Amino acid sequence: MQEDLRTAGVKRRSFVAGALGIAAAGGSGVLSGCSSGEAAAGAAPASLSAPAVELAPKKTGINYPPGYVGPVAREQRAIVTEQVTFTVVVPQNLTIGDWNKNAFTQWMEQQTGIRIQFRQVAGKGDDPETMTKVNAMMAAGDIPDAFLGVTFTRSQLYLYGAQNLFVDLNAYLDKYAPNLQQAMKDYPEARRLIRSPDKGIYSFPDINDCYHCRASNGRTLLNTDWIRKVGLAMPKTTDEFREVLTAFKKADLGGRGKTIPFAGYKDAALDTYFMNAFLYNPGDPWLVVNDGKVEANYVKDEWREALKYLRGLYADGLLNKDIFTADTDQMNRYGNNPGAPLVGGARAYYWGSFLTIDQTDPNARWHQYETVPPLEGPNGIRYAAWNYLKVGLEVSTLVVTRKCKRPDLLVRWADFQLDLEAVLRSYAGPDFRWSVKGDKGINGKQSIYGFDATWNSDATKGKTWDQFGVMYRSGDFRLAERVNPQKPTFESPLYEQTRDQLFPYKQPLEMEFPPVTLEADQAAQDAEIGLNLKGEVTTSLAKFVTGKLDPAYDGQWRDYKDRISRIGLQPYLEIQQAAYETYQG
Amino acid sequence: MTMATDTATPTGAPAPVRETRSDRIVMICNYTALGLFTLAVLYPLVYVVSASLSDPKNVVSGKVWLWPVGFSTEAFKAVFDYDSIVSGFSNSVVYAVGGALLATVLTLLAAYPLSRKGLPGKGIIMALFVFTMMFNGGLIPTYLVVDRVGLLNTRWAIILPAALAVWNMIITRTYFQSTIPEELVEAAKVDGCTDLGFFWRVVLPLSKPIIAVNLLFYAVAQWNSWFNALIYLTNEHLFPLQMILRQILIQNNFDPSQVRDTAELIRMKELQEQLKFSLIVIATIPPLLIYPFVQKHFVKGAMVGSLKG
Repeated sequence: MQEDLRTAGVKRRSFVAGALGIAAAGGSGVLSGCSSGEAAAGAAPASLSAPAVELAPKKTGINYPPGYVGPVAREQRAIVTEQVTFTVVVPQNLTIGDWNKNAFTQWMEQQTGIRIQFRQVAGKGDDPETMTKVNAMMAAGDIPDAFLGVTFTRSQLYLYGAQNLFVDLNAYLDKYAPNLQQAMKDYPEARRLIRSPDKGIYSFPDINDCYHCRASNGRTLLNTDWIRKVGLAMPKTTDEFREVLTAFKKADLGGRGKTIPFAGYKDAALDTYFMNAFLYNPGDPWLVVNDGKVEANYVKDEWREALKYLRGLYADGLLNKDIFTADTDQMNRYGNNPGAPLVGGARAYYWGSFLTIDQTDPNARWHQYETVPPLEGPNGIRYAAWNYLKVGLEVSTLVVTRKCKRPDLLVRWADFQLDLEAVLRSYAGPDFRWSVKGDKGINGKQSIYGFDATWNSDATKGKTWDQFGVMYRSGDFRLAERVNPQKPTFESPLYEQTRDQLFPYKQPLEMEFPPVTLEADQAAQDAEIGLNLKGEVTTSLAKFVTGKLDPAYDGQWRDYKDRISRIGLQPYLEIQQAAYETYQG
Repeated sequence: MTMATDTATPTGAPAPVRETRSDRIVMICNYTALGLFTLAVLYPLVYVVSASLSDPKNVVSGKVWLWPVGFSTEAFKAVFDYDSIVSGFSNSVVYAVGGALLATVLTLLAAYPLSRKGLPGKGIIMALFVFTMMFNGGLIPTYLVVDRVGLLNTRWAIILPAALAVWNMIITRTYFQSTIPEELVEAAKVDGCTDLGFFWRVVLPLSKPIIAVNLLFYAVAQWNSWFNALIYLTNEHLFPLQMILRQILIQNNFDPSQVRDTAELIRMKELQEQLKFSLIVIATIPPLLIYPFVQKHFVKGAMVGSLKG
């Protein structure tokens, strides 16, 4: 009773506040009232008249591996002689600490002469809270010179760009961003990925080509110790896979009947691995391109076959009962079970999804688990969904607004950060060391740089921009990090297993549905239908697998397809098809 | 000196009322139900405290379920390594104390006149107050107001917009109505006391319970709030603790398929494992500390205030 009284006032208020937040986060409408007709107040005439910038000469004394593609250390010089200040809004972050006092901030200011006055908003940069605040700022006309690390979607960039709120950087990038131009030569798809339907480029992108991330949506691990103990081999087909799990269950290697032959949790979709034995399936939103036509996977017969397979696994008790509800904490409790391991295999992005990674102990449990290659289904299908387009390039890293008087300087400032040394300082801090000839990198080739401490440890607090900066981290660059033979990290095995087990089975690029940009009204429709479809597909998947619905029963499968089409699959696909064609140009 | 045994009937005192069978059953059910409720409320508290004092490894592997396993205060030490947590804590104290004092003063000043019969236009004023309970300007207009009066990005933006809760004001008014009789005012007037003097010398000393209740309500509301800070602040040095706490807790809600870097996943995971529980404990301690001191006033104040609407 006292408890009730004490919190009632609080609750009511936070409810109202929450409701307001949602209303504002609803987004695009908020800004439509905002002076879209006015010409861009911003850019001073001087901003495009300065001479174009050329690539600076390379620094010497750095060992690049042969055939290296990626950022290069150059003799960069200060951008301005007299100090210029810009206001930039960034997300708050504990590792970065106070952006204004951060070590990389100071280094950048020293190097370029450009001073940044940072304003910090709460949230991670991509969550509704950050966008609530950002929307409020823009609606109130309280606009900074730029946003850094605030994740606008492609459609939002396009919308605000078309309203002249964000600056079209095309001309600036051509003239003042030589490093980015070089990077876009290295990654030819980049230009198409950052361009809006009106050909405007409303943000300075960020390239971070994480090799193993391209396949992590479908990564599945099995305990090789256990496979040896039950006398089988790493499975190659769906039948073999089932056989292995059945053997795990029978041998009860976890003890006392508590063995979980295969574990999953709610944040790691099952379909991204198992469905690929039946059809190419990249996962949510389950769209694929078939001969230039956009299709949805979840109404196909192959999908149904895959559901039957999963249903079988679940019915035999080979999957954990709470596979659709367990959270990360629960998953880690399964994985880290004291004593003997409990889990035979898991759908996991990497070991850390269900295990504590102890890199110092060569006998640590995570070493027992290895990436399983994709399974071959009954019809000979065998894909590893490879993420060509949605991993590797981020739009919206730096967004310049119309408040900015000198977009050219901000663009040069961003381009400066694509330099090898700046990249290292930006995400890892000043404590890197160049490699000497003969040092091996993650991929076994000559390495370029390395860290004596792990770069993500506490030691980098206040020294880095924790991957919020503008960066150019090519695949070669990432794999050129020195491996200490005494203290190997998990990066090498992760790379090698991805290269050997998943990469060979990747689908052709043409099949992947690219990240598309939508017009404002389409974006609203897409969001609504998309959300409902996602809800229907995921709940039905869980029901089909756990046996609340039976995929073998025609009536229930038909009902499911009816529900999907009533939600609006047809108009949804039409929107996607049109957007896809725009993307293809 | 009592010599009476169980069987002897004492002559002086009346015999204790014997509990009937049904009474006893009711009592047993009561205690069981209340005991279960207590456990349900207590367990999460104990768990969080235990988890914060355990080795994070044991928390992750599920070894901790009631008492700390592998006692360690590392988590608390780690908290103080983060400047923003330390500054967040002191900011929250400022917001809670400052906000509570200001809001309580305003509430008392608004509630007292409204509780007296003689105030002209009382109905209209009251209606205006109640109106704001149902309707408000919405996020953007409020933001614009805060911006234009120059509060944006100052501590005042947290304290002023939350400075009066109509709901608290109504409770306080009702308290005054029911505990300060009109006759008392008249008596004071006869003795030559002004309205202000009466308020200061008679009303306030008689209103300790409701003052305590108000202070607690406002302090807790400020302590727990983060939305105003989210909307009005862009200076990290002004962020309250709850913003930082949220920041760490929502890191669990990322979509792993969207994260660009495995090493980043690990870093987030470590940070969270390390700080989550100790931070919750730190954020919970101050309200828990204040509560016992206010509690004796609390029941009385809130009950009397809420008697008549």
